[in-house]
Amino acid sequence: MKKINRTYIMGAVCLALSAFIAWQTTTIPERLVSNEPGPKMFPFIAAGGIAVFAILSMIFDAPKEDKEDPKPYLDKAGWIRMGIIMAEAVLFTIGMEFIGFWITAMVGTFVFLWTLKGEKKVNFIVAILFSVGLASLGYFGFTRGFVIPLPKGVLWESLGIPMP
Amino acid sequence: MEAYMTALSTLLQPANFLMMYLCCVIGCVLGAIPGLSGGLGITLILPMTFALNTELSFAMLLGMYVGGVSGSFVAAVLVGIPGSAASIGTCYDGYPMTKNGKAAKALSIGIIGSFIGTAVSIIVAMLCSGAIADVALMLGPWEYFSLCLMAITMVVGLSNGSIYKGLMAAFIGLWFSTVGADMVTNQLRFTFGNTNLYGGINMVCMLMGTFALQQVATSYAKGQQEMPEVDTSSLGGFGLTLKDFADNARTIIVSLLIGLGIGFLPGMGSGISNLIAYGQAKKMDKHPELFGTGYDPGIWATEVANNAGVGGALIPMISLGIPGDGTTVLLLSAMTIHGLQAGPMFIQQNPVLADLIFLAVLISAILIVITELLTKRWFPYLLKAPYHYLYSAILMICFMGAFSSSTSMFSVYLVLGFGLLGVVMDMFKIPMTPLMLAFILGGKIESYFRMGCSYAKGDLTSFITRPISLIFILIAVWSVVGPIITKQIKKRRSAKVQ
Repeated sequence: MKKINRTYIMGAVCLALSAFIAWQTTTIPERLVSNEPGPKMFPFIAAGGIAVFAILSMIFDAPKEDKEDPKPYLDKAGWIRMGIIMAEAVLFTIGMEFIGFWITAMVGTFVFLWTLKGEKKVNFIVAILFSVGLASLGYFGFTRGFVIPLPKGVLWESLGIPMP
Repeated sequence: MEAYMTALSTLLQPANFLMMYLCCVIGCVLGAIPGLSGGLGITLILPMTFALNTELSFAMLLGMYVGGVSGSFVAAVLVGIPGSAASIGTCYDGYPMTKNGKAAKALSIGIIGSFIGTAVSIIVAMLCSGAIADVALMLGPWEYFSLCLMAITMVVGLSNGSIYKGLMAAFIGLWFSTVGADMVTNQLRFTFGNTNLYGGINMVCMLMGTFALQQVATSYAKGQQEMPEVDTSSLGGFGLTLKDFADNARTIIVSLLIGLGIGFLPGMGSGISNLIAYGQAKKMDKHPELFGTGYDPGIWATEVANNAGVGGALIPMISLGIPGDGTTVLLLSAMTIHGLQAGPMFIQQNPVLADLIFLAVLISAILIVITELLTKRWFPYLLKAPYHYLYSAILMICFMGAFSSSTSMFSVYLVLGFGLLGVVMDMFKIPMTPLMLAFILGGKIESYFRMGCSYAKGDLTSFITRPISLIFILIAVWSVVGPIITKQIKKRRSAKVQ
């Protein structure tokens, strides 16, 4: 099966993005101030620039890529690893919102560590202590030390359970 | 002088001094570990500075910056892998010197060379910035528009890979900068009814996503987490004499000037200066054949030049509001977040803070040289730092920082989005620096352009009829077209020869 040139994919995505920006720009209401280009000008310039250089890249860069025949960005195992770490990041974010930062950070840091260690041996107790310690230091350092709020979790708030 | 004394006394307050020192050390560690950098450190501590006063914040950020640049030679010398692009040239002679059983000498040259580069360049920056700012005050919006444009195109022209992809990235960054309320008419653009976007895209989220999350995700997916073993048998002693220093004085001075000059130009950071200085040192030396075999001038040249870029890059940042390299882009963001406007008025309006910035760099350099000389023996342990602990901590700090930047979950989702964008850009080999620079300068470019149009009563030719503006525009055009033309000429010549 013939490999699809990566630059063509990029070019197509960027052309679509450019069209989207241009279309969205037309929906911006114009409030004219005299001698002034208005709020639409720069978004149009951005859309035009993206489209022009996406096309130029497809013309000049894509043939080079075909000639050089580069290795795939990631192999199958690499894509699986990418999927896992990104999924964990998404779950961390959702966890932050629902069960709060402190608990999510303790569990999440441990899960990140366990994933990132790969084949290496890591002491289970040390990993737990590291995750709990770091999460607690971060949470209380920010909320108490710097007085910067972090999410407490909508779940606990809805159940009326006070969190530190 | 009074401003200097006030700045110095602020920096020497125990809490400020201690935090700055801590950041210097963390920056050094991050700089030493390949794949991590002082820039990443700045990104991670940026949200912590929200609750701190501006002086302490900048002491910490600059400590991290100087530490990151200074530490990058460690891996280059000990394992032949540069800690960052700034130390690529150091690998050529640093690692062979270690293999020749002179690791102590190689490290000492790296430490002293880094110190000389940073210290002298920042003194030059102290002396020049005020004068450059005074000249800049005479410029109007036309010149500023052209100057910002030139900064972006120079970054694009000099970034690795395709120039078209670099320009495309710059336009994507420009689009990102238009999100939110328009500064002249207050008209909302690309907010899609989301109130979180009314103020524009959160800069911290972009930095966290594209720097931290993308770095961890791609490095894990590519399996780049192993370091070779370090030979620790030759780390004892200082390894350097006064004679070594005197013998290389010419190389040091020339490299200093190269680093300073290149650091000053937008887009030409330490990644380029160290290689140019290496080439120049080789050209000047009586024994060019010794380069690449563990020869002293090779390390002196690269380490002095890349650190001299610190002072060089700070001059345009402070006096013109234009960042000189990728890390000063982050520092400029920090200034914006702290409500400061870098540019010609900055030194006049904030004399103490301006002096504090210069002094923080100088004191950080002194602290780092002392610490590195005392702890040189333990440098190999830095390279044994377990990546899984570092990366998991980085991810946690990244999410914490994103939320605290706006106390909104939307920011955390933005980090995920930018992390994904970073991965996609890495996959398509689209450089990130032009996007970041265009995003940061995009607002300024638009406002200067619109001000220029308004002042000239809608006459667009005013941008090319004013001589300084025209010069900047011509440089901007040449920095993009030049490499393409040069490439074509070389291609034709080589075709003719064949």
